[in-house]
Amino acid sequence: MQRFTGTRVTRVEDPRILTGGGNYIDDRNPPGLGHAAFVRSPFAHARVHSIDTTAARAHPGVIAVFTGAELGPHIAPIVTQGPPGMSCPRFTCLATDKVRMVGDPVALVIAESRAVAEDACELVEVEYEELAGIGSIERALAPDGPRIWDDLDSNVLYEEAATYGDPDAAFAAAAHTINETFVQHRITNCPMETRGVIATYEPGRNHFTYMGTLQGTQMARFVISTALSLPATNVDVVLGDVGGSFGQKSSIGHEELAVCGAAKALAGRPIKWIEDRTENLSVGGQAREETVTAQVAFDADGRIRGLRLDMVLAGGAYPIASAPITTLVGTLARVLVPGAYDIADYSFRHRAVFTNKAPYVAYRGPWAIETWVRERVLDRIARELGLDPVEVRRRNLLAADAFPCKLPAGPTLAGITLRAALDKAERVADWAGFRAEQASERARRAVAQPGQPGQPGRVLGLGVVSFIEPAPGPPDYGPSIGFTLPPERATARLEVDGTLSVYTSQAPHGQGHETTLAQLAADELGVSMSAVRVIHSDSRTAPFSMMGTGGSRSATVASGSVIGVARAVRDQVAEIVAHMLEANPTDIEVVDGVARVKGSPDKAMPLAQVAMTAWLAPQYLPPGRNPGIEATFDFRAGDGGWTQSVHSCFVEVDPETGVVKVLRYVVVEDCGDVINPAIVEGQIRGGIAQGIGEVLYEHSAYDDDGTFKAGTFMDYLIPSSMEIPSIEIHHVDATVVTQEVNFRGVGEGGAIGAPAAVCSAVEDALSPWNAKVVEQYLPPSRVLELMGVIPVER
Amino acid sequence: MLSCADDNCKRLRRRGVRELSCRAQLRRACKAAAMKPPPFAYDAPETIDEALGLLDEHGDEAKVLAGGQSLIPLLSMRLARPARLVDIARIAELGQIFLNGSTRIGATVRQCAVERSAELRTANPLLGKAIPFIGHGPIRNRGTIGGSVAHADPAAELPAVMLLLEAEMVLRSASGGERTVPAAEFFEGFLTTAAQPQELLVELRLPAWLPGTGAGFQEIARRHGDFAIVGAGAVVQLDPGTGLVTDSRLAFTGVAGTPVRATEAERMLVGHEPTIAAIAEMAAVARAGLEPSGDVHASAAYRRHIAGVLTERVVKEAVDAAR
Amino acid sequence: MPPAELQTPHTPHTPPDESPDLTVTVNATVNGTRRSTTVEPRRTLADWLRDDLGLTATHLGCEQGVCGACTVLVDGDPVRSCLMLAVQAREMAVTTVEGLGSVADMHPVQQGCLDAMSFQCGFCTPGFLMAITAYLARRGQTAEVPDGRAPSDDEIREALSGNLCRCTGYQSIVDGVRRAWEITSESAGA
Repeated sequence: MQRFTGTRVTRVEDPRILTGGGNYIDDRNPPGLGHAAFVRSPFAHARVHSIDTTAARAHPGVIAVFTGAELGPHIAPIVTQGPPGMSCPRFTCLATDKVRMVGDPVALVIAESRAVAEDACELVEVEYEELAGIGSIERALAPDGPRIWDDLDSNVLYEEAATYGDPDAAFAAAAHTINETFVQHRITNCPMETRGVIATYEPGRNHFTYMGTLQGTQMARFVISTALSLPATNVDVVLGDVGGSFGQKSSIGHEELAVCGAAKALAGRPIKWIEDRTENLSVGGQAREETVTAQVAFDADGRIRGLRLDMVLAGGAYPIASAPITTLVGTLARVLVPGAYDIADYSFRHRAVFTNKAPYVAYRGPWAIETWVRERVLDRIARELGLDPVEVRRRNLLAADAFPCKLPAGPTLAGITLRAALDKAERVADWAGFRAEQASERARRAVAQPGQPGQPGRVLGLGVVSFIEPAPGPPDYGPSIGFTLPPERATARLEVDGTLSVYTSQAPHGQGHETTLAQLAADELGVSMSAVRVIHSDSRTAPFSMMGTGGSRSATVASGSVIGVARAVRDQVAEIVAHMLEANPTDIEVVDGVARVKGSPDKAMPLAQVAMTAWLAPQYLPPGRNPGIEATFDFRAGDGGWTQSVHSCFVEVDPETGVVKVLRYVVVEDCGDVINPAIVEGQIRGGIAQGIGEVLYEHSAYDDDGTFKAGTFMDYLIPSSMEIPSIEIHHVDATVVTQEVNFRGVGEGGAIGAPAAVCSAVEDALSPWNAKVVEQYLPPSRVLELMGVIPVER
Repeated sequence: MLSCADDNCKRLRRRGVRELSCRAQLRRACKAAAMKPPPFAYDAPETIDEALGLLDEHGDEAKVLAGGQSLIPLLSMRLARPARLVDIARIAELGQIFLNGSTRIGATVRQCAVERSAELRTANPLLGKAIPFIGHGPIRNRGTIGGSVAHADPAAELPAVMLLLEAEMVLRSASGGERTVPAAEFFEGFLTTAAQPQELLVELRLPAWLPGTGAGFQEIARRHGDFAIVGAGAVVQLDPGTGLVTDSRLAFTGVAGTPVRATEAERMLVGHEPTIAAIAEMAAVARAGLEPSGDVHASAAYRRHIAGVLTERVVKEAVDAAR
Repeated sequence: MPPAELQTPHTPHTPPDESPDLTVTVNATVNGTRRSTTVEPRRTLADWLRDDLGLTATHLGCEQGVCGACTVLVDGDPVRSCLMLAVQAREMAVTTVEGLGSVADMHPVQQGCLDAMSFQCGFCTPGFLMAITAYLARRGQTAEVPDGRAPSDDEIREALSGNLCRCTGYQSIVDGVRRAWEITSESAGA
């Protein structure tokens, strides 16, 4: 029969998505809906002296207006949690005494329509006293500067440091050292669907229903129930189709919680809030913004001897409610920074600071700073020594026979195929051919005379980077980052008509789990995909898990749990059919939806008949067996391992305008076996598009005082079809299969590798100008500054 | 609280654009949620006189709606809040184009009309070259030529085109009848024109395209279809016998509060052969005469530099087209 | 699949202020059906389709006229429905994704994007589908395109450039356009 796993079966989600049948949060309009809109701070940092809501309340069509003080009785302050030593300020979801970022919500209007709610927002008068704002890491760390939290004695919210091996000895022995500070700018996830919620409190049964845009259901249930002082079991979280997230919707924001408080106060009335694009860009959650000061010790042959890395992360004004991401990013970067390179001696210090900016949230490959800095360092070493950058990578990669081994911080490295990936990339991307073309264009440029006819040589660059990502990592990865993940559970029921319902705790938002998990379940059970439905994103039916979809886990753990549960169902089918057909259960196979005795094609029963018997005629079942066929399976992560990639990025720089065009992009990667090639390619390409955008177009720009400058889609630029090239993807033959579930995540790698590859390519293109790329954001004006064509203006 | 002391902004506020004062402030408009327009009354007159009557009655409380591609985002972000919109799209008379040597374009002719009419592109090659730079197809399908001119965004293409063509704007009002304002006097400041609140821009008059004349238009934008960081247009006329330049015009978008003609630079070419060296000298003078400001997309220095680069490109393009 | 009870019935909300000065009657032909409602003039075409007519296929991604998710056809031309007031569409013909094809009988553009697995989260999808539909229709009518020449990548990318997608990196959408063109050509040739 047809095997679905590994093939490009079309997506289960697409018929509804392509015909307008998607069910996104703003598509739902339950009866009696009230619409929410927020009054927000125009200042980065200010005291709130008074809020006058009188006129807003009197406005026709207004249902209610809440200030932070008025919402207080209905919803508890937000409590953030983190590792020991993390400053966890308490704050309310509407600011009361002080606003700490542009867009900080100070009042909430509920009205009969969104337009009327906005009308009333304009009638709310807030008296502010502006304070000095903090828009940069330098200002946050200034000893005598302003404090964002009055009750904390500094703006540093977390600090940790660790040393592996003996970096001091390594520095003492090394032939060369480099000191450099690398700057990663702030960006935002920017899903096409903004955040949204419909919250309903039913006082009669003391029950709360949260419909919204999230990446999981159970964590939200606890956050909401805690905030509303309800039992967690009285809160349902029910998502629908979610229009992208990339980490932004992994946590509940101030606004969603405020709406929950309002819904509780206005008992019985569903309250909807749909974030507008300016809100999403300004406070929906932003990411990255780290500065890393790197000291590098290396030998004359280009091998890194030691690293001293000092990172500061600008965490925004408010920690997010559910996960200490600003501390976790430092931990992840510390553990992962060696990659598959032989870097045994290093130290890593991480500080996260408060700034008057939007909350720092997880974004696709949250730890990507480690790859970007490390690959920048490798390029720098190549330049200092006059070596080929790829050769420097080859010299530093762990030897093929080094595996299995451990990263200095603990996780096991095994099945690493980066050397093979580099060899394949060299072939398929034809680096040599490009280098020849680059050399000839440079030669033409050198002889061209200004003012003479004819085109001078083109300015071309190539960047090659290699990296590994935990997707989701080996069993000892969790302990290394202080974050051990529980097993992933799936449950399943063979329905009375013989179809399979699979329940997962995943909450997909574009990844196509209804397709990939159905492919796996169909193959394992022996049915067609149309006989499998994947049910997700509903806390009432989802198996318990505090994790939803995220962290490159699904490909391994959701797949493992679904394969396991489908197998358990098949085993029960075999047991029942063996009993009814008087055969041995081990001789029963299920093919094309029919259970049969191997070798005796006439002894067979369709699954519908098996299911009907199991549910409706238990007298035919083996003695003592309960009716029905249901199963639960816990997948213990096993060796999820590492997804590995080599990215080759080819760019052309217009030396007159500084405009960078990505000419070609080639990925060679190893993500184990592929469930659906089209979905894997889509994930990789989407991540790379975001990575290209991050370097060349996107910047959540603030002034030094925290004034926000990128609040529309005319200011925050995500790339269009004209800016992203076709992206070629090649797989290296999957690594030695050490486990049955040999699928690994591909959601994050594109966004990890692309910023490094694009920066590397631009620096290579600009090498005749001796330009050093130490800031990741490279708009055309910055490129001309690097070339010395225009003066630097900040 | 987002008010601004700038004279342009004051004038705009008087005309019903309350909080929009300058681009930097537009970007700071995070004060409250804003995605639905504020309330307004609406009229859709079917004759010019009817429209003029409404503008006369309501004065600066009213705002003219043509295609809406500039006005409606300002409404949705609540940066503009007129009490009344006068939708002129149903006035048949304003949707006409007359080609008779010169080109007369009614105020509600959509930008896509140029893309769809080879005749119009031949009649005015500069218009044909500039229009595709306006946003994306769906914007040009609704956006009008007159609307873009009346909106007077200094980063927009059509105001600069009008300046280059030395076009005339025909304004009409109920009380004052009709007057004609040359482009050079029409664009007064950021989103500000010589049109009074009671006046309606009814027609754009483009002079005949003279033989031996070529056009060039180019932009540098962050992304395809974005408002340009800087745009430049050139019109060059060559003597067919000598090949010397008989007329030379150059204008920029995105470098000041209005589109800008580079008058000193463009004179340098007249009477000369348009050599690469001559054009480069012209570019240097054009660049030196600009004082752009920086923003989130590019620094002032970048804009000045790009103005020079684009000058060379568009003048060469115009010369090639003229030959 | 999302839980069934999320498919809540649609209840249009009436404008709170019914004063005659602030309401207008909008009548237009939407997906072939004559529709008429009374709304505030400030109601955008997108909100009219979604909230008054319950046609929620059209999505709002920015309401700033940039992302293209709300693209619909007005008299055959693709326009941003967030940049048009409903009242501006009076007496016009509006086509949304609901008017393209059904699951059982897909429009070639829908089928092409299904085959190419063009989309991921699906939020930008309606705008792309309408932009592609208009592009292929116009291309088919343009004499400048020699018969039978498949659209090039560059041509398709230019046509898609007014629509933003955050998930895919666009390549699969380009493939979907080409596939839609093939389906259209095959059926035209058959």
